[in-house]
Amino acid sequence: MFSRVRFRRLATPLLVAGALAVLHIPDVRAARVSGRITGVVHLVAPGGMPLRSGAYPSRRVNPKTPEAPEIGNVVVFVKDAPTEQELTATRASITQRDESFVPRVIAITRGSSVEFPNFDPYFHNVFSLSRALTFDLGRFRKGEKRERVFPRAGVVKVYCHIHSEMAATIMVFDHRLYATPVSSGSFAIDGVPPGTYQLSAWHERIGETTKPIKVVAGEDASVEFSLPVVEK
Amino acid sequence: MATRTPPRFVIRTLVATLATVAFVLSAVLLVVTLNVQKSVRDGVGDRLETARRLLDALEERRAHELHAQVAMLAENPTLKAAVDTYHTELRTTNQAGRLDLLATISRELDKLATRIQPDVLEVRSASGEVLGIAGRRAGEWPAFARVNAPPQDAEGSWVTTDSRIFRLASEPVVLQGTPLGTLSLASALDDRYASEISGLSGVQALILSKHHVVGSTLPSEVLMALKPDVVGAMATQDVITLAGSDYAVRPLMNQGGAQVFVLDSIDASARPVMAGARRTIGWIALGAFILAALASVWLSRTIARPIDTLSASLANMTQTRNFENPLTPGGDVLEVDALTITFNTMIQSVKAAEEERLSAYVGTIRALALALDARDPYTAGHSERVSALSLAIGRCLWLDDTQLEVLRLGALLHDIGKIGISDHVLMKPGPLTGEEYEIIKQHPVVGARILRSVPFLEPHIPIVELHHERPDGKGYPHGLRGTEIPLVASIVHVADAFDAITSARAYRPARAASEGLRELWRCAGAQFDAEVVHALAKALPDLDRSTASAESMPRFFPVPVAVRAVRA
Repeated sequence: MFSRVRFRRLATPLLVAGALAVLHIPDVRAARVSGRITGVVHLVAPGGMPLRSGAYPSRRVNPKTPEAPEIGNVVVFVKDAPTEQELTATRASITQRDESFVPRVIAITRGSSVEFPNFDPYFHNVFSLSRALTFDLGRFRKGEKRERVFPRAGVVKVYCHIHSEMAATIMVFDHRLYATPVSSGSFAIDGVPPGTYQLSAWHERIGETTKPIKVVAGEDASVEFSLPVVEK
Repeated sequence: MATRTPPRFVIRTLVATLATVAFVLSAVLLVVTLNVQKSVRDGVGDRLETARRLLDALEERRAHELHAQVAMLAENPTLKAAVDTYHTELRTTNQAGRLDLLATISRELDKLATRIQPDVLEVRSASGEVLGIAGRRAGEWPAFARVNAPPQDAEGSWVTTDSRIFRLASEPVVLQGTPLGTLSLASALDDRYASEISGLSGVQALILSKHHVVGSTLPSEVLMALKPDVVGAMATQDVITLAGSDYAVRPLMNQGGAQVFVLDSIDASARPVMAGARRTIGWIALGAFILAALASVWLSRTIARPIDTLSASLANMTQTRNFENPLTPGGDVLEVDALTITFNTMIQSVKAAEEERLSAYVGTIRALALALDARDPYTAGHSERVSALSLAIGRCLWLDDTQLEVLRLGALLHDIGKIGISDHVLMKPGPLTGEEYEIIKQHPVVGARILRSVPFLEPHIPIVELHHERPDGKGYPHGLRGTEIPLVASIVHVADAFDAITSARAYRPARAASEGLRELWRCAGAQFDAEVVHALAKALPDLDRSTASAESMPRFFPVPVAVRAVRA
């Protein structure tokens, strides 16, 4: 049953991707005259009651480096982008430092690999229970690193068995139409075929915020996100 | 009317002391019983209070430990990863995918439950949706029926159903500051918990959920008696009655329908103490009764024995009329000694009165004798002399004092019968006619008749009646022979004759003693008792030596010379 579910999960996007690929072959050529999505992501205080500070007392015991700005944990991507068959595999890195994964959120293309070097003077572990990829890289000491290839698209959450507060998110895409905002919040996605898309801004705490966007060849489509995320 | 013999003094003292001891012991037993019951009640109350405080502290610690345990479990990386992954992927998956993710969470919960063996381990999302549940009593956990999230009480909280009470500790599952949900650890308050409380505190425990018994260490028959009104009373009263025996009760916890009580049977606690007290009092009672009995016997003896001695002495005195020996005071009891001394004083006066009476009686007799002697100048002093002579003879014959006294008075009175003889016969100067002589011979009988009318002269009757009897049987009035004649009568006979011979008469002069004695010797054996005559012979020299006294003066009265046969 597990394999059937797995097969169905995989089969649907593959069929869709295949159909899109067949239908949009002229568009691939037209990609050379593709458009661009630019925009800015604002992090604002949530509209509701702010969470009481200290409602859940922190159980953090080790001093840590200051948190990276939350804007670094945002990924903007075209939700209904067509699957690309040939993607260049890249190599990303999430370091383990001060009992944290740094950076906490990265976005990669399918087939890329992520390495996990340990910079802490104690053991770390990397494991995942996500359906896109379930793995456990075991424990390793300072100076060592583990590496893992992500062959399927999806959200993969990785954790450390030893330190329960450590978590990171790896977003694996079937395409290249995603971007990570810079510290000012602005981002740009190049090479977007003209058309109407759903553009999503994802943050680890609030999930996706989706907006429709129309891309015209040779032009910049501008968009602005306001995400209810507070800095810690 | 039947006279009742009064009980002995010792019976009275025994009854009085034993009744007193019994009363005192009964009072002591009553007081001790009341005190023991009160102190047992207080003691049980104190024990329950101690147990309550101990268990309060224990409960706090237990809640704390439960909380610590759940806090630890909430930090389990795999559980957190499973819950976080569930939340991350929930938005992008369908129902099958959701079940798949829930299965992952359940698997992790089961792993934890296998390790720590909780009653219930539950994880729910921040929105209150139950994500997974595990544990031995997961089937009884009312979580699925409940809508609200369990209370977020750091000290622990309670989940109550009709049949179950759970102590609950909850802890949020937080990842990087974001609450993912709540992990709850619950332990049931059941029979096992009750016996644990009981084992720690040494008293009984009772756990009620909405007035239903969910756990207890009480026997089932006591639980049967646990009616709703009793349960209602338990919350407000210190002592309740269950199945006929009193139980002290203290509430341990009363929260939202869940009630935990510690209780202990007062009767069961009092029983050994009361048994001990009764045993002690029993021994004391035994000792007290023995001591009281001994003391009362001893006391009654100190009173009764001197009185017994006293009354025995008095009885003896009354019987023997011997008042010579005074009673000796016992020296034990002052009052009895005073009584003895009073008795002695009384005896002294009785004795004095007796002597006075005797001397008066002797005086009367002497007066009679003197009056008789005075009728005839020739016989003046005769009775006194015969008395003195008879005493002297009696002493030679070793008669005792009583006989000598009888002799003395009898001799004084020996011729009292002559009162009835007319003067012309008695004092006739010439020879008597046969008829006159017969009249003379009547005087012993007449004397005896006179003496019989006076009771205390009875001992002297033989002397008066028989002082003319002769050993050869030729005497008068009865003609007795030899040993038939009493010795005292024979003595007076001899003394009378001797005095008559040695006294002057109207018809002859007085003769010398030696002559008189010769005359007596001549007739000894026939007319006179030879032994008595012999005694007279022995007594005479002593008598002569002492006749210088006034007592024997009549012998030297001037005696008229006359010859006359004396047969007096």
